[in-house]
Amino acid sequence: MREFSYVRPKTLDEALELMQLHAGRIRPYAGGTDIMVHLRSGSSRFDNLDYMMDLGDLQELKSVTCENGTVTVGAMVSHECVSHHPIVLEHAPMLAQACHTVGATQIRNAGTIGGNVCNASIAADSLSPLAAMDAVCNLQSKTASRSIPLAQFITGSEKTCIQPDEILVSLSFPSFKEWNTAFFKLGRRRALAISRITASTALHFVDGKITEARIAPGCVFVSPRRCTAAEDMLKDKEPSLALFNAIGEEVANEMVAVTGVRWSTEYKQPVLASVVSSALCMAAGISMEEE
Amino acid sequence: MPTLNFTLNDKPVSVEVSANARLLDVIRDQLGLTGTKEGCGVGECGACTVIVDDDAVDSCLTLAMSVEGKNVLTVEGLAKDGRLSRLQQAVLDHHALQCGYCTPGFLMSATALLNKNPHPTREEIKVAIAGNLCRCTGYEQLIQAILDASQDE
Repeated sequence: MREFSYVRPKTLDEALELMQLHAGRIRPYAGGTDIMVHLRSGSSRFDNLDYMMDLGDLQELKSVTCENGTVTVGAMVSHECVSHHPIVLEHAPMLAQACHTVGATQIRNAGTIGGNVCNASIAADSLSPLAAMDAVCNLQSKTASRSIPLAQFITGSEKTCIQPDEILVSLSFPSFKEWNTAFFKLGRRRALAISRITASTALHFVDGKITEARIAPGCVFVSPRRCTAAEDMLKDKEPSLALFNAIGEEVANEMVAVTGVRWSTEYKQPVLASVVSSALCMAAGISMEEE
Repeated sequence: MPTLNFTLNDKPVSVEVSANARLLDVIRDQLGLTGTKEGCGVGECGACTVIVDDDAVDSCLTLAMSVEGKNVLTVEGLAKDGRLSRLQQAVLDHHALQCGYCTPGFLMSATALLNKNPHPTREEIKVAIAGNLCRCTGYEQLIQAILDASQDE
């Protein structure tokens, strides 16, 4: 395993100082659940690594707040904590659901939502609910801070636009308290499973009709995003299985249009349609059974 | 080499470790506590489960240096004064092991659960042990043992 020096700053300022000092040769270590696997396999991403910087003492990155209708989740909040946190359960239940499906208890206790985003696996479970909510990534370096939409932060499979001296400090998104949300995960088994296909959906109802919708599939686009054309098709409609099945197909068609026909399309197209439809039914509280 | 100071099974420990050492290797190879097992090395089997500050984690995915100042509990720390814990005795009583390789990991996941939630439902138990794989038992006896250990005496 690659050799490096271990550093553990006590404050965010200290951490940012270290990031600037050793930019390009230093890497933040959050829960370690992805890093340790990559280290073990000798991944080339660590070729320039001299310092592993443990973020474990940075209390500034561990809070969850809701202020003026905006929820901010610290990057070092564990999946286990996100999945049970009262603020997340109230304002973004689909994110709590998604984080609850990550790995298993041991992984969720160590792994963090910030690590999940920065590792940027296409299958990362937190990405589709965050994308559905138009979440923003809050980044800091010693000299500057910036906030960019998640869809722009993740630029490809396991690629982000984080700068060598930057740390992701938190994720922000508006409250979805007044919406009905759902997250559906398809994996090869019910735990310890990398997602095969996921979908996050949020529906806003007035007098029984959908006024607004959010749909973000997971594991199908290189960068997480909403399917706005399909979302628009739901406006002013009453929920029904037939409607949601049609929307599921629309989302699957959009996937094929964007990513092209690939070896996996024969599987992913019908399955994505079904997963999206399931997530919409869950959000609307209607049965998946045909009448 | 840096020095790692932490509490292990209620005793203070100070040991020189490589910065890239896994907690699993420090526990087994440097400190001689071989109850914690390596099953997969990538966090997919739970055989290496230990408890760090009340939370069950995979020690194969934990940098040893990250437990500086923390409390680590391994399977060797469950029995007190030569007496098995209630959970350990229940695992024996329910024949919830065969080869025994996964057993320490299950004991740690279940101990962490019962410390936080003394009377879990069957569903809560299943979630707590979903990160531990067993090839021998079929899991039912393990669930029964944990349920048994959670009953009021």
